[in-house]
Amino acid sequence: MKQLRAFWEIAIGLLRELSDENAYRRHLKAHGRAHSGEEWRKFSEQRLRAKYLKPKCC
Amino acid sequence: MKKTLSYLAWGALAVVAAFCLAGIALNRGEHVNSIWLVLASSCTYLIGFRFYGKFIAARVMTLNDQRATPAERLENGHDYEPTNKWIVFGHHFAAIAGPGPLVGPVLAAQFGYLPGTLWIIIGAVLGGAVQDFVILFASMRRDGKSLGQMAREEIGKLGGFVALLTVLLIMIILLAVVALVVVNALVGSPWGTFTIAATMPIAVFMGVYLRYWRPGKVLECSLIGFMMVVGGIFAGQWVAESPAWAPVFTLSSAALAVAIIIYGFFASALPVWLLLAPRDYLSTFVKLGVIFLLAVGILFVRPELELPAFTRFTDGTGPIFAGKIFPFCFITIACGAVSGFHSLISSGTTPKMIAKESHAWPVGYGAMLLESFVAVMAMIAACVMQPGVYFAVNSPAGIVGATPAAAVETISSWGFPVTVDQMQTLAKDVGERTLFYRTGGAPSLALGMAHIFARSGGGQAVIGFWYHFAIMFEALFILTIIDAGTRVGRFMLQDLLGHVHKSLGRTSWMPGVIGTSAVVVLAWGYFLYQGVRDPLGGINSLWPLFGIANQLLAAIALCVATTILIKMHRARYVWITGLPLAWLVTVTFSAAWQKIFSPLPRIGFLAQADQLEAALESGAIAAAKAAETQALIFNARLDAMVCGVFLVLVAVILIDSVRIWAGILRGTRTSEVAEAPFVLSRLNPEEV
Repeated sequence: MKQLRAFWEIAIGLLRELSDENAYRRHLKAHGRAHSGEEWRKFSEQRLRAKYLKPKCC
Repeated sequence: MKKTLSYLAWGALAVVAAFCLAGIALNRGEHVNSIWLVLASSCTYLIGFRFYGKFIAARVMTLNDQRATPAERLENGHDYEPTNKWIVFGHHFAAIAGPGPLVGPVLAAQFGYLPGTLWIIIGAVLGGAVQDFVILFASMRRDGKSLGQMAREEIGKLGGFVALLTVLLIMIILLAVVALVVVNALVGSPWGTFTIAATMPIAVFMGVYLRYWRPGKVLECSLIGFMMVVGGIFAGQWVAESPAWAPVFTLSSAALAVAIIIYGFFASALPVWLLLAPRDYLSTFVKLGVIFLLAVGILFVRPELELPAFTRFTDGTGPIFAGKIFPFCFITIACGAVSGFHSLISSGTTPKMIAKESHAWPVGYGAMLLESFVAVMAMIAACVMQPGVYFAVNSPAGIVGATPAAAVETISSWGFPVTVDQMQTLAKDVGERTLFYRTGGAPSLALGMAHIFARSGGGQAVIGFWYHFAIMFEALFILTIIDAGTRVGRFMLQDLLGHVHKSLGRTSWMPGVIGTSAVVVLAWGYFLYQGVRDPLGGINSLWPLFGIANQLLAAIALCVATTILIKMHRARYVWITGLPLAWLVTVTFSAAWQKIFSPLPRIGFLAQADQLEAALESGAIAAAKAAETQALIFNARLDAMVCGVFLVLVAVILIDSVRIWAGILRGTRTSEVAEAPFVLSRLNPEEV
């Protein structure tokens, strides 16, 4: 049961990492800010700009 | 006691691996069950990971968990972040898994299942995983520096410049070839075209949803987007059956190519949040889900391989691409065995997320093995089809004949019986008008996957859905590569042009954005259009060019890796990167030489140009076709030149590297490594 829960946590953690939701949480924590539409847009623009400076793998 | 049991378990696994490899290698004349391939590959990967990977980690790179990684030292809440090793593993795998490991094995199956499968397994364990792992390690020790930066610092300015230029050129060929795969998958298919067209407004909806309605809810938004895309597949069936709408979405290959070129331009110039990012999120989840489903499907169905171990086309006369097993099998399957593009990912985001140095072993080495397993699954999906059907789908009209009757006659004469009725029934089952001449690998992969999924549940009644689901899955993430690649190409070009005129380098100056986007789109669009007009299907010339380019990038990465090992005083282990490097240089230089200079027109670009020129001069080609033939002659010579440029670039970096290795080994050059200084780690692995 414990192992199943650990697997589930990793799977959800992976999905949140891939969807940038974890990165957004880290961003809020690092800057001591609260979630808002404006904050997400600011974060998202910065994140996506960096992300699409690199080619995607074939 | 525990140690003895461990030795016994690994010994048993080695015996199973050897038995399964012998089973697939020595079996002749009988159908082989796909489970043999699954067992042979997974047992070999486990042994490679546990022994070879660990040897490199412990003896060669001496990974040290006491040393703080850049994720710990430079943690900033953005890209530098110590992350759970399995999450980094999944993140890295999602980043390296593209269409390459799916399409390459399908094309290489023309030689039979054996050559490609052995290359995928052996190439990944001894080459691809080693490259990814060593580059990840090197980047991690250098604060997450890119391959280009490492090449500049470790080899020299020339090496860095050549690496950057090679990446730009490879991207142009890559974008053209993957776009051609999409064109060939959608040509004359209203169902497929509608489904893919529907993903664009869905992505825009997702972009607006995410930005204004539910900011930050990416998982929720992606789930809604996925349901809408599945709805789009069902709607596509209705469109295909509608007399009014079917003609609107039934497009020729030239029209599809133009549509993708226009799309690429807009996707590159539009804000990323509107189209590119939402589709990227969606395609990542769909990709991981489909790969998982395929693995489960293969284990559940355990289909038999219909293609033999070797076909008659090992002699180089294959209809899908011309050339013998050596060197062409090894460049056709690049991703899945050794892929140079992975070195860009291993020196990108991943090194900035690794919490402990020892995590680089499962992430760098292990993720590549998983990608290799994806390639084995693609090989299985291609080989479960009847050989006659496989060749009818994948062979261009220029080789097998312009009518279905001529095509089945040619293919049957090769010893792979197939009938027009059989192909028509299959096309009807999957909701297509025809499955002849659907080159590029994507339709045959979709057929194989649909076959496996349908046998897992639902049977023939749902095969049409699964076929179009697979097409949607392939096209979705290929289009994401086109969006992102065009954008990256635009940034690279703006960066270069910024030195000429400052405003051209500004990413916020609209005329600059539009101009540079147009240049990049036209560059890959030209090769795409050339592929569409090629009577041999385009894949024959473009895929080998892409394979050569990708493997040459791997050669550059291995040059950097070898230089770093020598500078680290690990010269006695230089064979670890040196052997794959020597193999890749041999393979790519042989293939490139043949593609340029072979006297056979189906292989050599120059011979093809000469043959067409001679036909034109002798009057064998009608006057109406003269302009088209002139264009084909020009294209063949251009391909030869591109191939030659790749060779020169890599020869330059190779010679430069050898010069540095010799200097260090002779003691005439200092061997300073550009690693970040040692800082004691204070991170508890349990915390991440």
